[in-house]
Amino acid sequence: MTEKHLLIPKIEAGIVIDHIPAGLGLKVLGILHSYPEMSNVITTVGLNYSSSKLGKKDMLKLQTQALPPRIMQHLAIACSGISVKRVQDYRVVEKLVITVPETVVGTARCRNPSCITNHERDVTTRFRCVDAPKKRYQCAFCEGIFALDELAVIVPNHD
Amino acid sequence: MKRDLISIRDVGRKDLERYLTLAARVEALPLADKAHLLGGRVLGVLFFEPSTRTRLSFETAMVRLGGSVVGFAEATTASVVKGESLRDTARTVERYADILVIRHPREGAARVVAEATRVPIINAGDGTNQHPSQTLLDLYSFKTFFGKLDGLKIALAGDLKYSRTVHSLVQALALFDNVEFTLVSPPALKLPAHLRELGAASRSRFVETETLVEAVRSCDVIYMTRVQKERFPDLLEYEKVKDAYRIDAALLDGAPPLLKIMHPLPRVNEIQPDVDDTPHAGYFDQVGNGVIMRQVILLDLLGVTP
Repeated sequence: MTEKHLLIPKIEAGIVIDHIPAGLGLKVLGILHSYPEMSNVITTVGLNYSSSKLGKKDMLKLQTQALPPRIMQHLAIACSGISVKRVQDYRVVEKLVITVPETVVGTARCRNPSCITNHERDVTTRFRCVDAPKKRYQCAFCEGIFALDELAVIVPNHD
Repeated sequence: MKRDLISIRDVGRKDLERYLTLAARVEALPLADKAHLLGGRVLGVLFFEPSTRTRLSFETAMVRLGGSVVGFAEATTASVVKGESLRDTARTVERYADILVIRHPREGAARVVAEATRVPIINAGDGTNQHPSQTLLDLYSFKTFFGKLDGLKIALAGDLKYSRTVHSLVQALALFDNVEFTLVSPPALKLPAHLRELGAASRSRFVETETLVEAVRSCDVIYMTRVQKERFPDLLEYEKVKDAYRIDAALLDGAPPLLKIMHPLPRVNEIQPDVDDTPHAGYFDQVGNGVIMRQVILLDLLGVTP
């Protein structure tokens, strides 16, 4: 058995969230746990593994079939660049690198307290990427421009 | 598909030039020839915030084209005080009118209304965001004063951080070639950086000065805005700078003869009354152009050719 296997036990089936920059693993875990459907999923947390790409990285292994789209979009807002792999029979059958999204629709609140979307009921928020390298997004309504990680993600109700 | 006028960001140079051409045509038409262009049509006015010029000029524009006006001039007389949503108010008034004009204190309000309704929507100011009809009438004023927009030398003075008029104006002028912006503002009220980045493709230039004296000598137009006391966290700071952004007739001594002073109005004391009688006063002509440009907007969005 290689050292890698000893450090990160393989899972038979599930989702591996990989290439999380070191230090952000617990933040990603926190995001997953803000969704009720994820709170009971068996999860292995790995921190500070060496990575040829990142130097050091964190990793999560989840014994679940899939990540719902809204969680994927939440991860794209909070931590783009990470990869999500689907594992079956101990093999990776699908790999997706979460890139900076072109648009963020309905999953984030506008940072501008005076934006109408923070006052009018049931308006679906929309943000469009206006500067991909700097991850800057413009609100379709108030036209304010914000950094992607400044956008407040709308998390589901726990009631 | 219906068309709206929500933001200058949605308008390209070709559209701006089309509006300017239409404005010249509408201005040249005898009153009697335009008095029936919008006969039988109704403009719905939804003003959730007080305004004199913008509301009256839209209403005048509609009435002089033969149309009529319904609506409200402040939120206290609207159902919003009973808790009605903005979209419900708009969806109600659109059943009474062919086109709506809205002013609202929240940024993005006009866009929300535009997406909820089937009639054309005109944004007459949404918070600190946009005021596109003001920008169009300003461009038309520059055109009538100087005959051109390319190469215009314009000083923007006062509150450049929060003034929606200034923001829309910079966005529009940055679409023209070689426009030179001179920015005159207190450090706390500087033009936002993302607006300064806009003019790169059209070779716009931005220069900063601390005082108006220099701008008076070197620019075609000085566009004044009000420096509002409430924008300053420290009132001492306000007291220090308030007089630096004030124009009087003495300051204009020796100014180039064609220099124009403009202002979206209302002014408080940033342009002294003794400027009114100089050939440099452009702000009341600017107000007059407001009616012409708003007629153009109404005609255009309702698909009527003047």
